[in-house]
Amino acid sequence: MAALGVIVGTGWSTASAQDVSIQAQVKDQQRDANGRVDNQPVPGVTITVLDASGAEVGTAVTDDKGIALIPVPSRGTYTVRIDESTLPDDKALSSETPAEQVISEDTFVTSKRIVNFFTGENQRESTSGFERVAQRLTDGIRLGLIIAMCSVGLSLIFGTTGLTNFAHGELVTFGAMVAYFFNDLGLHILIAGPLAIVAGGLFGYSADRFAFARFRKRGIGLISQMVITLGMSIALKNFFLWRFGGRDKPYLNYTNQVGTEIGPITITPRDLIVTILAIVVLLSVALTLQYTRLGKATRAVSDNADLASSTGIDSAKVIRIIWVAGGALAAMGGVFRGLDEQVSWDMGTSLLFLMFAGITLGGLGSAYGALVGGFVVGVLVEISTLLGVPTELKTAPALLILILILLVRPQGILGRAQRVG
Amino acid sequence: MDIGAVLETAILQFIGFNACYYAIAAIGLNVQFGYAGLLNFGQAGFMAAGAYGLGQTVQIFEISLWWGLLIGIGYATFLGLLMGVPTLRLRSDYLAIVTIASAEIVRLVVRSVKFRGQFGGTDGLTGFARAYQQVGVDLGLDLAGQYGFWIFTFSGRNLWNLIVGWTLVAIFGTIVWLLMRSPWGRVLKAIREDEDAVRSLGKNVYSYKMQALILGGVIGSFAGMMLALGNATVQPDNFSRDLTFFVLTGLVLGGVAKVTGSIVGPMLFWFIYSFLDSFLRQLIDKPVRIGDFTLIQSTDVGVVVFMIMGVLLVLLMVYRPQGLFGNRKEMAFEGR
Repeated sequence: MAALGVIVGTGWSTASAQDVSIQAQVKDQQRDANGRVDNQPVPGVTITVLDASGAEVGTAVTDDKGIALIPVPSRGTYTVRIDESTLPDDKALSSETPAEQVISEDTFVTSKRIVNFFTGENQRESTSGFERVAQRLTDGIRLGLIIAMCSVGLSLIFGTTGLTNFAHGELVTFGAMVAYFFNDLGLHILIAGPLAIVAGGLFGYSADRFAFARFRKRGIGLISQMVITLGMSIALKNFFLWRFGGRDKPYLNYTNQVGTEIGPITITPRDLIVTILAIVVLLSVALTLQYTRLGKATRAVSDNADLASSTGIDSAKVIRIIWVAGGALAAMGGVFRGLDEQVSWDMGTSLLFLMFAGITLGGLGSAYGALVGGFVVGVLVEISTLLGVPTELKTAPALLILILILLVRPQGILGRAQRVG
Repeated sequence: MDIGAVLETAILQFIGFNACYYAIAAIGLNVQFGYAGLLNFGQAGFMAAGAYGLGQTVQIFEISLWWGLLIGIGYATFLGLLMGVPTLRLRSDYLAIVTIASAEIVRLVVRSVKFRGQFGGTDGLTGFARAYQQVGVDLGLDLAGQYGFWIFTFSGRNLWNLIVGWTLVAIFGTIVWLLMRSPWGRVLKAIREDEDAVRSLGKNVYSYKMQALILGGVIGSFAGMMLALGNATVQPDNFSRDLTFFVLTGLVLGGVAKVTGSIVGPMLFWFIYSFLDSFLRQLIDKPVRIGDFTLIQSTDVGVVVFMIMGVLLVLLMVYRPQGLFGNRKEMAFEGR
């Protein structure tokens, strides 16, 4: 065993000795139109690598990508020095990255050690407080609208059938995936998007027709149905992962847009149109619920299914329509989310919990509650990052909202006080 | 196709370490879901509580490993209170939502850069299991040696994990079995069937539910501890939502509200899982293509098997909700 170890060990170290290099990257810290950090490469900068004794190992000039690759004999301690006089005249090295950086042997995770030099101010702190709030608020409104759109179906399905559908997030992903599929085939997203929404409606229709309507007929209990939705969520999520792959992918259209400044905020035309479309859709949902026969029937079934049935409302039909509309709205939310961020196999799952927080806040099962609650949660989640919540944990405050609302007013903002226990 | 090898892996998984910590988790979940009718969809959160309680001892607090048992139980109790206080007076689906959300937040917090100093971030925690392995050595096991016969050959390290794990399964199985025969257990089952009737008998339903939630959670935290000790590391992404769902699948497979169900179910789950996995891996040694369209290749197998397990859960709930050992009457409870 020991002998084998030595052979393998030496073989490995000679192999790696040939390829070890230091990759210096020089970047200018900037913001893109969305206000996201978007660093630009700085070409033509001289980088020198010195070994532990101070002797020069190699020198290189950064290319168009701002990268200088310097081979070194082996993993070890080196000093990487940037020649500040070769920087463009209007750029200066940021105080965060000194002109000389010492790297040690154990920081070579792979055979290529990356060393970054930044110029310009760190963009994350340079904008004024007011602008940051305004920008976050815009992002939050967009997220809130998308959450509201996705959760209408979730809330109404709960209201009419009592089912908590844990696979609703997958309906969102489904929409984004179908749009990506058609987009990838060469259809413009303006055509692929509506197709995805139709597919989402069909998906909702089949979910009710071939699954949940039958479960209700068979008398399968709500808790069993809830567990069934968990199983569906696992199955669908892994199906997406199988067919789509684990990487995030953007739609082919409207990817690189330059933002326009409107007052304190910068927004791309894409995001602006998504926001306006979402508002229009949600307003029409609200108006439909308020004034049309179908809307009134939906609210009646949602209030009390038995009572609604006894007044002549066909509740099975209403439930079917809710599944179709809910599926279509979730798919639309998925497409919008895909435009806003990117398409990924678990995008819906990560939204699900925000949707639940939203509809609980608004009032579980209440028709308008989903709209209001989802919107509020989306805005709060984005705003929370301004109050020092790290971005990676920005969904955590939604849990706090959820717990607080359950303690204080379990029926939600718009739910009527009734027995919820 | 070597069916013998496929069966061999499946049988080893049937009694293996995965089945064993799943069984502990399922025994806990059974107290909540099976006996008390509480929809805990965040068992992974409780498991993480136990695992991190242990993991933090040596690396973060620099104290003996065994304090971790107390810390883990403490975390699990805290988590149970956090989930239970706002929801246990309400309709049961609120608990489902809060548990699923809390477990996810627990995972995000322990893997975050912000709390790297407390939970080790995405690297997780290591270096705490030595005292645990030392006990095995003291009992005369050679951790690097080979033990066993026929296909049941384990390294000393694995054997030690299996011994401790299955002992815990036996202990918790017995405790839960005894508890459910006691007056306390009967009240719990009565709450599942009709909460109002129990309340009218003067029982404090809220308190009983809370006790069941915490007891199940603490047992779940031991599953997490076992996972941590067996792997000698705690990784945040072990405690994903899927873990909860698969423990639940195992429980339903065996049959809820039955101690045997909660133990045999997870074993069967791992048998089926690993059977499908190695079967498909042998079947798909080269990519299956229809024209240019790649239907499936060997790297997809893991994902496809998970997908099948999801479908299995759906089919089980539709056609045999009582699982293998369960009683259909005990499954018929309604959450509202």
